[in-house]
Amino acid sequence: MASENGGRLAFEVLTQVDHSVIAPRLGRLSVPGRKDLETPNFFAITSRGAAPHMTPDVISSRTQFGGVHMALEDFVDKAGKGGTPPIMNVPNSSPLHTFTALPKRISTLLAPRRTPAVTAPVGNSNTAVSIFTSTGFQAISNKNYINYISAMHPDIAIGLGDVPYGSVPGSKRVEKMGDRTEKWLSELLNEKSEEQAVFAPILPIDFLSQSEYINYIADEAANSVSGLAFYDSNILPDIPATTAVAKLPRLTLDEPSSPAQILRQISLGMDIFTIPFIGFATDAGIALTFRFPKPLPPGSEGEQKEEMSSGTSLSPLGIDMWTSSHATTLSPLSLGCECYTCTSHHLAYIQHLLSAKEMLGWTLIQIHNHYIMSEFFAAIRSSIRKGAFEEDVRVFERVYESELPEKSGSGLRVRGYHYKSEGPGEPKKNRSAWGNLGPNEGKVEALIPIRTQRD
Amino acid sequence: MVSPASMPSALTFELIARCSTTRARAANLTLPHGLVQLPLFMPVATQASLKGLTPQQLEETGCRLCLNNTYHLGLKPGQEVLEKIGGAHKLQGWKHNILTDSGGFQMVSLLKLANITEEGVRFLSPHDGTPMLLTPEHSIALQNTIGSDIIMQLDDVLVTTSPDTKRMREAMERSVRWLDRCIAAHANPTTQNLFCIIQGGLDLEMRKECCKEMVARNTPGIAIGGLSGGEAKADYCRVVNACTSLLPELKPRYVMGIGYPEDLVVSVALGADMFDCVWPTRTARFGNAITKHGMLNLRHARYANDFGPLEEGCGCICCRTGEGSLGVTRAFVHHVAAKETVGAHLVTIHNVWYQLALMRSVRQSIIEDRFPKFLKQFFSDLHAGDKTKYPEWAVEALLTVGVDLMED
Repeated sequence: MASENGGRLAFEVLTQVDHSVIAPRLGRLSVPGRKDLETPNFFAITSRGAAPHMTPDVISSRTQFGGVHMALEDFVDKAGKGGTPPIMNVPNSSPLHTFTALPKRISTLLAPRRTPAVTAPVGNSNTAVSIFTSTGFQAISNKNYINYISAMHPDIAIGLGDVPYGSVPGSKRVEKMGDRTEKWLSELLNEKSEEQAVFAPILPIDFLSQSEYINYIADEAANSVSGLAFYDSNILPDIPATTAVAKLPRLTLDEPSSPAQILRQISLGMDIFTIPFIGFATDAGIALTFRFPKPLPPGSEGEQKEEMSSGTSLSPLGIDMWTSSHATTLSPLSLGCECYTCTSHHLAYIQHLLSAKEMLGWTLIQIHNHYIMSEFFAAIRSSIRKGAFEEDVRVFERVYESELPEKSGSGLRVRGYHYKSEGPGEPKKNRSAWGNLGPNEGKVEALIPIRTQRD
Repeated sequence: MVSPASMPSALTFELIARCSTTRARAANLTLPHGLVQLPLFMPVATQASLKGLTPQQLEETGCRLCLNNTYHLGLKPGQEVLEKIGGAHKLQGWKHNILTDSGGFQMVSLLKLANITEEGVRFLSPHDGTPMLLTPEHSIALQNTIGSDIIMQLDDVLVTTSPDTKRMREAMERSVRWLDRCIAAHANPTTQNLFCIIQGGLDLEMRKECCKEMVARNTPGIAIGGLSGGEAKADYCRVVNACTSLLPELKPRYVMGIGYPEDLVVSVALGADMFDCVWPTRTARFGNAITKHGMLNLRHARYANDFGPLEEGCGCICCRTGEGSLGVTRAFVHHVAAKETVGAHLVTIHNVWYQLALMRSVRQSIIEDRFPKFLKQFFSDLHAGDKTKYPEWAVEALLTVGVDLMED
């Protein structure tokens, strides 16, 4: 790789000259030492520094994504007890990459919190926000956050924002949010090293309530920040269209629930996405199957799914892999898909693995779902390049259902560090795997052999 | 009774080298899905998946023969599905060899309500409690459908420590009768190799009797069963010793359920060739990495700031250095262990690699006729050179085959 973070992050808008027009755009994000990222595109979400279910060798050989979202709260468990988080001790100039064994081509984005984040019982203060680690809640001050950034060297750091999770902030809080975030951002920009790329957080409140803060970014900070990170992408059209602001890459941290929402944000000019529904779908055992703008033409070897041949009905965005009707289906998860899972395995195996609760099932679906997402964005870029994006979005909306299918099966065991009970009377998140053999014990009915031999 | 000549085989066994001191052998075993080199450790992919690893990752560890469990595949996905799909290789996308057990061991190990009669094993379905029956014929039919390269007879398994000699004799004799039923039921003897399983507990006379009976059936390979059930290691070694001395030279010998590194090297010295065990992959999921200096519990706080590889000098994708290295550190595994499955996958890859690499170096030392020296180095590494810590059973067992670990 190029001299470790020797250069600076650069973003080039490849289309669109008139910044006052709201439109989809193509861009290229160049992070020193990493592979260039064509935008629109997405960053995969990690948990404790790992892309769930996928080991680093799988990431490097079986996925195409160019960046990952990492949460500081996943690395600083020990700080709560006064210790030094191990990641601060990595003997290397690229600690976040080294610690997480992340392939070098992939860029890292450090955010204070996971996406989605667990709601903290205590709100943020003038100097600190609440984060949730595997050992409990902690307050992390902007000063500490700046120290972590300088020690961890993420390729991109998102400034600390006063983001309220879980509740709608009252009018008094809203007033403070912009002020606090502006103060924190200016502290970060003053203290960070020259080459550290920082994305300014845009708060999930309406533009007017944070106009002072946003004007600060536009007027004073536009040349020191390297991008904007939207906690609510609906603010995007309100952002001042100055040249300095328009040339910044735009990343969204809000949580799109469907590809249609992603398309809408792209039409507003969003560049980079973090997409929690990829992981939700994987954990629910749903293989994403959508293509942009419409399904691949049926291959010679197989027909499309029956529901789709019935003409008027919409195609599903994904297929539930738990369904027992897949038990003997030897076709790939999605016809024409060239991901590792689809070229090496079939529906029957995935269905078996889920039903047997084998971890490989989720790994294979995760590989596939990330591949589908990479293909989705590649097709979007090519559509924008051809000037066909608007029309293609209409086709997509005509062909596909608007939301992902409901989950039917259970996922993996959920763990305490990323789920927290938020009130009394919640049902158990994990079903108990074993119970007593119970009243059946000893009762003998007809003998049923493992195989009824008919011949 | 089946005459020996009538038993076809779907393997070739070629003896490559013999240790001039111990009874260790190196051999090439060619199975329907390719060559495997003995001595060999076989990792266990219970439900047609090696705990979180893709078949390609398993292949990259050097594995060319892994286990599937008949009992589990019989429940899920079930025989009907396996038949439609065309067997376990096609189910899991595995190009190499598979060995399946008979399903009998799980009846005993998983189900306290199993009841064994001459007909077969009666047990309650773990799903819904309905009574089920597994006979030698069912087991072989199921393994025929699975299409594994090596299939095992259904045997009457009893814990070796059972004090009931009458029941032990019954189990041994029944296992011989069930072998005959398995041979008769075996539909694909030219594409699948049926191995018999020697029973007889810790009673060497009974073991010898069983060897004699079963060797006469001329199966392509021979397993020593019923061990690894909590018996004293010295007793275990005596049984392996007694059996291997009676077994034909030119057939693979498989000791079932063995996987601790020290057990493997000693068993090889006693003349065994093949082993399987869930321990390396199970312990990986608890965050335990196997190294030549013993096991590391990576969940321990002492590894939180340890930025070294799981094992220095190891060639697995986690540990290897240079081109294509992943740079996985103990600190990272500590960070994700028991929290993200990726932690389990990484240690599983390492542990499987360790076991296979161990057997590769055992084989190489046999071929170069320096196996006794290898054994001394192995135990010295494991116990940091402290001979007082060497397990007594291993020292004694190796003495019986001419290796004195205590001499310098």
